[in-house]
Amino acid sequence: MSQRRDDPDGALMIRVEARDADALAELYDRHAARLLGLARRILGEGGEAEEVLQEVFLFAWRAAAAYDPTRGNVLTWLLIATRSRAIDRIRSRKSAARTGARSLEELGADPPAADDVERASGDRQWEVICRTAVGELPGDQRKVLELAYFEGLTQQEIADQTATPLGTVKTRARLGLMKLRERLRPYMRSGSDAP
Amino acid sequence: MPHSERHEELVAAAALGMPLGADAGELASLLAGGCALCGALLGDLRVAGTALAAGVAPIAPPPELKGRILRALGPSRVPAPPASGAAAWRVFAAAAVLLLVAVGLDDSRLRREREELRSQSADLAGRLQTAETRLAERTLRARVLESEDVQMMLLGGKGPQPEARGRVFWSPQARRGVLVAASLAALPSDRQYELWVFLNGKPVNAGVFDVDASGRVLFESTDFPEPNAQNFAVTVEPRGGVPAPTGPVVLVGSPT
Repeated sequence: MSQRRDDPDGALMIRVEARDADALAELYDRHAARLLGLARRILGEGGEAEEVLQEVFLFAWRAAAAYDPTRGNVLTWLLIATRSRAIDRIRSRKSAARTGARSLEELGADPPAADDVERASGDRQWEVICRTAVGELPGDQRKVLELAYFEGLTQQEIADQTATPLGTVKTRARLGLMKLRERLRPYMRSGSDAP
Repeated sequence: MPHSERHEELVAAAALGMPLGADAGELASLLAGGCALCGALLGDLRVAGTALAAGVAPIAPPPELKGRILRALGPSRVPAPPASGAAAWRVFAAAAVLLLVAVGLDDSRLRREREELRSQSADLAGRLQTAETRLAERTLRARVLESEDVQMMLLGGKGPQPEARGRVFWSPQARRGVLVAASLAALPSDRQYELWVFLNGKPVNAGVFDVDASGRVLFESTDFPEPNAQNFAVTVEPRGGVPAPTGPVVLVGSPT
């Protein structure tokens, strides 16, 4: 519990769990823009991203007790909830029309220079570290992860879309995620001992 | 079972939320104990996956959205009072606040202390609530578990509520079952959750229930309709229930 109090977001989650709406409002002010950015990236324009954002904060209100600080920080928890809901919506769409999801390169998310990392602090530091880690992935691995993460494609769909053998897609997904984990492990609050 | 690249492939796919198809059973088996490292690795890889979101530019939400969310919290959105068993703590908290006022601490210090008290009070209330819930769960479960023929099935979230989870304990002889579930969404006042027992693929109503503010429920079905239940599901239905399911399935069992 003390770990949660030391962390501003963790302290807010304690208050949310105690049904303090002001705390939820504060959590919203801190993270809504980032979560909406992710939801909009996956779902595109049209209002669904805002619906997902609302669902995520109502989920946080309802399930605050389920937040486990040993599994990651609050922002990570909220990002996972946002992405999960957005991908569910993508998959439930009957239309084959794809959203305007774009790759990180198209968005100009080039990996930052090393000195950017040193300048960063707090949440910004986490963001820079993540972007650096993603930027260091080989392009084919990053592509597979992006297609899965932002477009919700299955392994077979990725194989079809990229004209790559299914086994290769599985390997790239594994290697890419394992590399991200390795790069982020020093900043994770817990971790497995898997190699 | 030694950890292998095959395990990592399955766990990576699950961490990315990719449907596993025929491999789902293999992963479930690994997570159930076949691979000592896979559970923790799954958590790690889910967190690692969020690194992909770091490159996405934030977007300021429309100004009205925050108000809409706060209004949707309902009447319970004021800080919760301590539970009844915490009366002693209430007295202590009040005394502490009065003491702080009396000694004339400055405003910022007072706010800080009040925040700490509120936090501690919330801790205490939460722990009490958890203890009460666990006691109630044990009492209810005991009625079923005392039966020698008790059976159990895990339920997983589905459709609009993928985070929901639950377990059903039931005794065919006692024709009694207990559903323990968590992370279920609050429903509009005209809706309730309905538990269904499946026999030969046909659902039979086993009762309706509501969830508490945290999305938890402990529901006892005292007139279990099918002693030889083969599966269970929970749907969202009009308040009072319906004879056959009409709403979305939010929890469903995984019979082995």
